[in-house]
Amino acid sequence: MTIPPHWYLALGTGLFTVGVVGVLTRRNVIVILMSIELILNAVNINLVAFSRMFHSVDGQVFAIFVITDAAAEAAIGLGLIIALFRNKETVNADEIDLLKW
Amino acid sequence: MTPVQALDFIRVLPEIVLASCAILVMVAEPFVSARHTAALAWVSLIGIVAAGAGNAWMRRFSGPAFGGSIAADPFASYFVYLLLLAAALTLLGSVRYLETNQVHHGEFYALLLLGTTGACLMVAATELIMIFIGLEISSISTYILAGFRRADKRSNEACLKYFLLGSFATAFLLYGIAFIYGLTGTTNLVQLSEKLSAPGARPPLLWIALILAFVGLGFKVSTVPFHIWTPDVYQGAPAPVTAFLSVAPKAAAFAVILRVFLGGLASAGALVFWLLWISALLTMCLGNLAALWQTNIKRLLAYSAIAHAGYVLVGMAAAKAAGPEAGEGIASVLFYLAAYALMNVAAFILVAHLAGAGERYQEADDCTGLAYQRPGVAACLTLLLVSLSGFPATAGFFAKFYVFRAAIHAHLIGLTLVAVLNSVVAVYYYLRVVVAMYMREGNPRASASPLPWPLGAALALSLVGIFYLGLFPTPFVRLANLAASPLP
Amino acid sequence: MSHILTILTFLPLVGATVVAFIPRTATAKIRWVALVTSLVTLAWGIGLFLGFDLHHPGLQFVENYPWIESPPVAYHLGVDGLSVLLLLLTVFLAPLAILASWRSIGERVKEFHLLMLALETGMNGVFVAQDLFLFFVFWEAMLIPMYFLIGIWGHERRIYAAVKFILYTMLGSALMLVAILYLYNATGTLELPAILAQLSGPAPPISPKGARWLFLAFFLAFAIKVPLFPLHTWLPDAHVEAPVAGSVILAGVLLKMGTYGILRFCLPLFPEASRQFAPVISVLAVIGILYGSLVSMVQPDLKKLVAYSSVAHLGFVVLGIFAFNPMGLEGAIYQMCNHGVSTGALFILVGMLYDRRHTRLISEFGGLSSVLPVLGAFFLFVTLSSLGLPMLNGFVGEFLIILGAFHRRALYGALAATGVVLAAVYLLWMYQRVFLGEVRSEKNRALADCSGREKLILTAMAAVILGMGVYPQPFLRRLDQSVAEVLARVQPGEEAALVFGSPKGWNDASRVATSSATTFHAPWLLPLPGPERERGPLDLTRDSRRELRDAAPAELKGIAGVACTPGEAPRAGMNRR
Repeated sequence: MTIPPHWYLALGTGLFTVGVVGVLTRRNVIVILMSIELILNAVNINLVAFSRMFHSVDGQVFAIFVITDAAAEAAIGLGLIIALFRNKETVNADEIDLLKW
Repeated sequence: MTPVQALDFIRVLPEIVLASCAILVMVAEPFVSARHTAALAWVSLIGIVAAGAGNAWMRRFSGPAFGGSIAADPFASYFVYLLLLAAALTLLGSVRYLETNQVHHGEFYALLLLGTTGACLMVAATELIMIFIGLEISSISTYILAGFRRADKRSNEACLKYFLLGSFATAFLLYGIAFIYGLTGTTNLVQLSEKLSAPGARPPLLWIALILAFVGLGFKVSTVPFHIWTPDVYQGAPAPVTAFLSVAPKAAAFAVILRVFLGGLASAGALVFWLLWISALLTMCLGNLAALWQTNIKRLLAYSAIAHAGYVLVGMAAAKAAGPEAGEGIASVLFYLAAYALMNVAAFILVAHLAGAGERYQEADDCTGLAYQRPGVAACLTLLLVSLSGFPATAGFFAKFYVFRAAIHAHLIGLTLVAVLNSVVAVYYYLRVVVAMYMREGNPRASASPLPWPLGAALALSLVGIFYLGLFPTPFVRLANLAASPLP
Repeated sequence: MSHILTILTFLPLVGATVVAFIPRTATAKIRWVALVTSLVTLAWGIGLFLGFDLHHPGLQFVENYPWIESPPVAYHLGVDGLSVLLLLLTVFLAPLAILASWRSIGERVKEFHLLMLALETGMNGVFVAQDLFLFFVFWEAMLIPMYFLIGIWGHERRIYAAVKFILYTMLGSALMLVAILYLYNATGTLELPAILAQLSGPAPPISPKGARWLFLAFFLAFAIKVPLFPLHTWLPDAHVEAPVAGSVILAGVLLKMGTYGILRFCLPLFPEASRQFAPVISVLAVIGILYGSLVSMVQPDLKKLVAYSSVAHLGFVVLGIFAFNPMGLEGAIYQMCNHGVSTGALFILVGMLYDRRHTRLISEFGGLSSVLPVLGAFFLFVTLSSLGLPMLNGFVGEFLIILGAFHRRALYGALAATGVVLAAVYLLWMYQRVFLGEVRSEKNRALADCSGREKLILTAMAAVILGMGVYPQPFLRRLDQSVAEVLARVQPGEEAALVFGSPKGWNDASRVATSSATTFHAPWLLPLPGPERERGPLDLTRDSRRELRDAAPAELKGIAGVACTPGEAPRAGMNRR
C-alpha cells in the first residue's frame, strides 16, 4: 500500500507551521535556528513527495541541495552565535537590542 | 539531457573567474605577511576586472548552459557588470577601512568575491534550483561579512539578525519553490512559462506558491513589511559591507523577481501585479517616512535604500501592467538599479571613511562643519545625496524619470503621484546631512583625514558615472533596453 | 545655428569653474572674477536684447540639437519677447547682487560666488529652454544653489527657511514632472512648439478633463513659486533669512519664474482650463494683493515688510495675466520686470541699512535722512517706484494691469486699485518711520552714508527705474508678438487689439487705452501738467486721489485707472462688449 501524496504535504505543512511559529515566538536564538531547520525539512519532505509523484529525480536532487544548504547555514549560524555569546554572554533574542530605531 | 560541453563553462566564465580568484585569495592569505595584505585586495580587483572581461567576451557565446539551468543572455550580462561594479567599488572603499579598523583578513576579499559569484549565478539562473543555490552562496558569504568586526557588539547583532531573518526568508522561498515544483512538475523557468500559459492550465494553489516565493524574495530586497532587518543590519554591519549588501544581493534578488514573476510566472497576471503594486506603495511610503526620524547616517541611508526599492517596484508594477509592452518598465528598472548601485555604494563607502576608526561617528551631527574642513569630501557626499534625492543632471533623476515614465505609460497615475510625493519627502532627510555639513557652525567630529586614494578613485568613478548617466543617458538606456529584451 | 543663447546661459558657469580654481584665501580675486563674469554676461544680454527682432513672430536665436534619444529630449533654446525681458532682468540683477554682497559676505567667499554664478546659469536656462524636459532640468537645478545661499549665508533661522523653500518648490515641481510625463505620454514629444501644435490641432490628444488636471499640476508648481496667496508662506521666511544677494535674486528673478511658467506653459497649453480656472485664480490674486498689503502694514521688520509687499505685487501680476487681454498681459509682464528691479533695489537698500546697524527692525531707526541723506534719497526714490508713482516704472505696469482687470471684471480692478492705495500707505509709512523725524537712537547718529560702491549700485537701479518708467516702449514692443501668441491661444480675438489700426476698427479711446507697444505713446507718459505733479506723491491719500480725479484733464479720466471710480474707466474708455 502506498501513502497518497497529500499526506506528505500535510506533514510538510505541519512542520512548516511549527517552524514558522517557532521562529516568531521563541526567544532563544538557537531554538530559532532549529525552527528554521524545521521549515527546511518541511521543504525537503514536500520535494521528495512531489518527486515521487512525478516519477522524476529533480525534486530529490533539489532536496539534497537543501540539505547541504541547511548544513552550511547551521555551521555559520552556530559560529555567529558563539561570536555573539563571547561579546554579550547571551543567546536571548530580546537582549540583542543595541540596534533599534 | 545534453552532455556538458566546453561552451557550458564559457557561459559561466565570470562566475568561474570570481570563484577561482576567491579561492586563490583565501589560500594565499596565510602566506602573505601581515604588512602586505593589501596585495590581496589588488589580486581580488584583478579578478573582478578579469570577470568583467570574461563577461564581455562571453557575449559572443550567448545561450543556455548546463541543460537550461543558466542563461548567458544580455539580461544576465547587464546584471553581472552591475554586480562587478558594486564589488569593485566596495573593494576600493574597504582597503583602507580594514586597515584603520584592524581587520586584516584575506577572507574579507574572498567572501566579497564569493558573494558576488553567488549574485552573478542568481541573475544568470533560469532554473529555480540554480536560483536557490546562487542565493545561498551570496547570502552565506554576506552573513559572515556582516559580522566581520567580531569584537564589535553592533556588528555581531547585525550579523545575527541578518542571518536569522535571511535564512527564514530563504526557507519561505524554498517552500514556495517546492510548491511551484509540485504544481507544475518543473523548476525550469522556460518550461514553467510554457506550462502555465497553456490554456486551462492554472493550478489552483499556485497563488500560495507565488505569495510564499514573493515573501522570500521580498525579504532579500527589503520590501515593506519584510524590511524589519534592513535598518539594523545596515547600521550594524561594517560600512563597506553595508555598501555591498545594499546593492549586490538586492540587485540580484530584483533580477530574480524579474525573471520569475515577469518571465516564468508571467501568466499569473493580476495577483503578481497587485503584489508588486501594494509592496511598491508600502515600501516607498514607509521607507521615506521612517527615514525622516533618523539621525544616524547609516540608518538613514538604510531607510532610503528601502524607499529606493519601492521605486524599483513601481517600475516592476508598470512592466507588469503594460502586458506585452513590459520592455519599457523592465528597462527602467534596470536603469534604476545601475544608478542606485553607483550612488549607494559610493555613499556608504564614504560614510565608512567619515565614521573613522571603530565607526564611532555615524550621526549626521558628527559632520557639522565638515564642509569647511574638507570641502572636497563634503561636496562629494552632497553630490551623492543630491543624486539619491533625484535632482536633475544626476543619475538619480533619470532613474526616477524612467520609472515614472513607464508607470505613467502603464496608466499607474495614482502610484506615480505617490512616488513623486515620496521623492519630495526624501529631499528633506537627505538634506539633513547637507545642513549639518554646510549650515551649522562647529567642528566636525567625523574623520577629517584626507581621503585615501583607493576610496578617492572609487568615488571619482561613481561620480563620473552618476553625471554621465545624468547628462547623457542615451547609450545606457539602449543597453538597458537590450538587456530587457530576453524577458517577454 | 548661432550659439548666442548657449553662451549667455553657460558663461556664468564658466566663471564659476574659474572661481573653483582660485585659492579660497584670494577673496578679492574671486569677487572680481565673479563680477566681471556677470558683467560680461550682462553685456551679452544687452546685445541679445538689442538684436531681438521686433517683428519676427515666434522664437528667435533658436538652437536645437537632439540630446536624449528616449524620451526624445532636445537641447532646444530660443527666446521670445517674454524671455528676452526676463533674461535682461536676470543678467542685470546678478552683477548688482554680487556687488551688493561685496562687503556683507565676508566668509566662505569662494563658495558664495561659485553658487551665485551657478544660480545665474540656472536662471538663464529656465528662461531660454523650449523643451519641457530641459526647462524642468534648469528649474530644479537652480534650486540647489539658492538653497545653499539661504542656508549658509542667511540670518538666524536660515536652515528652517532654506529647507522650507526647497520643499515647497519641490512639491510643486514634482507634480509638474508628473504632468510633463503625462503630456509626453499623450503627445510623444517634449518640445513645447510640437506639443502646442498637437494640442491646438483638430484632434487634441488630451481630454478637457485631463487638461484641467494637467493645468492644475503645472499651475500649482508655478503658483508656489509666484507665490499665489494661500501658497505664499515660504516666501517671507526665505526672503527674510536670505542674505542680500539671495533676497535680490529671489524677489527679482525666482518669483518671476512662476509667472513666466504660467505664461509660457499653463496658458498656451491649456487655454480652455485656464479660462475655466481664471475666476478662482483672479480672486486668489486679489486676495493676495489685499492680504499682502495689509500684512505688510503691520510688519515690524523691514525685510519682512518688503517680502509681503512682494506677495501683493505678484498678486497684481497674476491678476493681469488672468485678465486675458493685452493690457493685462503686457502690464503683468512689465510689472514682473518692475518688481524685479524695484524690490531688488529695496532689498539692497535694506541690506545696506542692515550692514550699518545689524538690525532690520523699523523701530530701531528713525530720522535717518538727516544722517544718511544720499541713502535716504535713493530709498525714497525706490519706494516711490515700488508704490507706482507715475513717471516711474511701477506705475506703467500696475496701471496696465488695473486697466486690464477692469476690463475683465470691474470688481477686480477696483479691489486691485485699493491695493495700490494700501501700497502707498505701507511703503510711505515705512519710509516715514525709518527716515523722517528726529534721530531717536544714539547708535544711528554716527552712521556713514553711501560708499562709492553703494552709490554705483543704487544709481544703476535708479536709472533703470526711471528709464523703464519714462520710456517703456523698448520693453513693451518686444512683448507684442509673445503676448499676441498667448492671447491667440487663450482668448482668440483679443490679440487683434494689439495691432494698430486693426481692420476691426476700434474706437479711438480703446486704442489709446490699449497697451500695445505701437499704441503705447499716450500723452500721460510725458510730464503732466496740472495738479498731479504739483501735489507730489507723498500725500496721495484716498481723499487727495479723489480730488486728483476731479481735477484731472478729461482725456486722462479714461486712462488713469487709479484715479477713476471703479468701473468708470472700462465702461467709458474701452467698451468693446
